[in-house]
Amino acid sequence: MRRYDLITPEGTRDYLFDECYVKRATEKKIHSIFKRMGYAELITPGLEFYDVFNLNSRYFPQEELYKLTDNKGRLLVLRPDSTMPIARVVATRLKDAMLPLRLFYNQPVYRFEPSLKGRSDEIVQTGIELLGSSSRMADMEIISAAVSVLSSVDVNYSLELGDVGIFRELMHRLNATPGQKEEIRSLIEEKNYPALNDLLDQMGDNKITNALKKLPTLFGGVEVFEKASALFQDARIEMILDNLKELYLEVCELNQNGKITVDLGLVNKTDYYTGLVIKGYLEGCGEEVLSGGRYDKLLSEFGYDIPAVGMAVNVDAVAGASAKLEKPQIKVPDVLISAVEGCEAQAVAVAEELRREGQVVEHALFSDLELVREYARDRKIGKIIFVSEEGMEVDANE
Amino acid sequence: MNKPLRIALTKGRLEKDTVKLLESLGYDCTQLHEKGRKLILYVPDANLEVVLAKAADVITYVEHGVCDMGVVGKDTLMEMNGKLFELVNLGFGKCKFALATKKDYPFYDGFGVKTIASKYPNVTRNFFEGKNMDVDIVKIEGSVELAPLLDLADGIVDIVETGTTLKENGLEVVEDIAQISARLIVNTVSLKMRQQEIESFVQKVEEKLNDEKNCM
Repeated sequence: MRRYDLITPEGTRDYLFDECYVKRATEKKIHSIFKRMGYAELITPGLEFYDVFNLNSRYFPQEELYKLTDNKGRLLVLRPDSTMPIARVVATRLKDAMLPLRLFYNQPVYRFEPSLKGRSDEIVQTGIELLGSSSRMADMEIISAAVSVLSSVDVNYSLELGDVGIFRELMHRLNATPGQKEEIRSLIEEKNYPALNDLLDQMGDNKITNALKKLPTLFGGVEVFEKASALFQDARIEMILDNLKELYLEVCELNQNGKITVDLGLVNKTDYYTGLVIKGYLEGCGEEVLSGGRYDKLLSEFGYDIPAVGMAVNVDAVAGASAKLEKPQIKVPDVLISAVEGCEAQAVAVAEELRREGQVVEHALFSDLELVREYARDRKIGKIIFVSEEGMEVDANE
Repeated sequence: MNKPLRIALTKGRLEKDTVKLLESLGYDCTQLHEKGRKLILYVPDANLEVVLAKAADVITYVEHGVCDMGVVGKDTLMEMNGKLFELVNLGFGKCKFALATKKDYPFYDGFGVKTIASKYPNVTRNFFEGKNMDVDIVKIEGSVELAPLLDLADGIVDIVETGTTLKENGLEVVEDIAQISARLIVNTVSLKMRQQEIESFVQKVEEKLNDEKNCM
C-alpha cells in the first residue's frame, strides 16, 4: 500500500515563516478595520450538517463539497462558506438579540476545485455580516468596509457594484423554461455575447430579450446608467438603477484613489444575493479577492425573516498581493542568553526580565561557547549574554 | 507606454488565422512571422504581447490572469469549462462536435449500456447526461475512429470537419452535438481592470468581422 505520510492533500498547503507572517499580518490589518466599525467576531464549526447548505434554492452543488458522516450516519460537510452557518446561528441563538447585528469571522472554507489548476481547496476567508437592516446606510457601510480593505494593500484596486435585482426583474417577465433561464444566466455571467444573442433571438424580438442581450455589456463607469435607463423603461428597474447610481456616486466621492465601477451583468450561480452585489479586484490577481452583497431572503430559509448584507475577503489572495510588494520582516531576536550548566534558572530569570522590557530573547542550547557565537552570527543576533556563577557578561556580537 | 496587453494564441491553424486577422487590422506582425522558436512575441503598434501555447494551456493562462486574452477553439472551452469571459465568436476554425458510429449501426436500439470513445470525456458526459442516458466513456488519445472499428466502443464523440476521415473508415455522423469555432476569451479581472484597452481591441475585431461577413 502506498503511504501518504509525507505530503499534504491536493489543494492544501503548509504556511511557513514568511507566508504565515504575511497571512497573519493581513488578517490583523483587516480585523482592525472591522473592529473599528463595531463588528464582533464569531467562530462557527468547521463541520456542519449538509442540510445547512442544501436549502430550497440549493446554493452549493454537492460535487463541490467535502463530505463525511458523523457516528449516527448523518451527512456532514466541511463548511464551504461562512455566511450560511452564520445565518443559522443568527436564526437560532441570536433570534432575540438586538438588531442590527454586526458580526465578523475569519475561518477557512473548503471546496473541491478542479484538480491540476493550481487552486486551493482550503481558503481562509474573513468577512462581515450586517444583519437586520435593509437601509441604504447598511449597503454603504459594507461598501466602505470593502474600500478600506482594498485600499489597505498598496496596489491598484477596483471595486465593482451591481444589483441582481435588474436581472431578476427581467427574468421574471421572460417567458422561458427554468432550463432556458439558467442557460441565459450562465451566458450573461460568462459575457458570452454571441451565444446569448443566438439564444435570445430564438425567443422573439421584444423589450425583454433586447434588454437581456445588453445586460452583460453594461459595465464600466457612470455612463453605464445612461445606457441602462435608455434600455429598460420599467418603473421597478428604474428604481433599482436610481438607487444604485446614487450609491455609486456617493462611493466615488468617498473614494478618490481606487477605481469604482459598475457591472449590471453580475449574476453568479451560487449567489443567495437579492440586491446589491460587490466585487473587489487587485491588480495582479487573476480572480476577485473580495465579494459580497445583500441577501434579504437567506435568513428566512432558516425561519427568521430579516434582511442582511455582507462581504467576504480571500485572505490568501490579499496576503499574496501584499507579499509581492515587500519582503516580510520577521523579527530577529535581540538577545541570546547562554548559561553554564547549573545556572539555567538564573538565565531564565534574566531572560524574563528582558522580555518584560519588550525584547525578544532566545536561550542558547550549546555548551560550547564557540558554537554559541557562531549560532548568534548565523541568526544575526546582535547581543549575547553569558550567565555563570560569577554573574553576567554582555558580549556584542558582530 | 502602458504595460502591453497579453494575448495567448492556440498554436497552429488558429494562430495563423489570428495573425491574419491582426494584420487585416493594420498591425505589424513581423515578429510573429519570424518567430523561430520564441514563445513570447510582440506586436509593437498594437502594444500586444503574443504568447503561443497549446489550446488547453491558453485557457489555463487566461483563467489565472497571466494572459489578459486568448484565442481558442470552442471545443477546448467546452471540454475545460473554465471561469472566463467568452466575448467574441471569431468565426474561423469552424467544425462541429458529433456522435458517430459505424455506418447503419443501430446506436439507440436495445437496452444495453453503450460505450463511447472520445478525446473529450467531459463533452461526451454532458451530452449524454442531457439525454438522461448512462454511458461508459473510454478516453482515447489518438485516432478515435479506431475504437468502434475494433469493437471497443459503440460510438465516438469527436470533432468533425469535412467528414472524410469518418467516411473512409466506414463511419457516419448520427447526431450533431455542437458547432465549433474560434473564440476570443478574456480574463474576468483583466476585462474590468483594463476595460478601455480591451474594449477598443474587441471593437476593432468585431468591426472587421462584420465587414468580412457583409462582403461575403
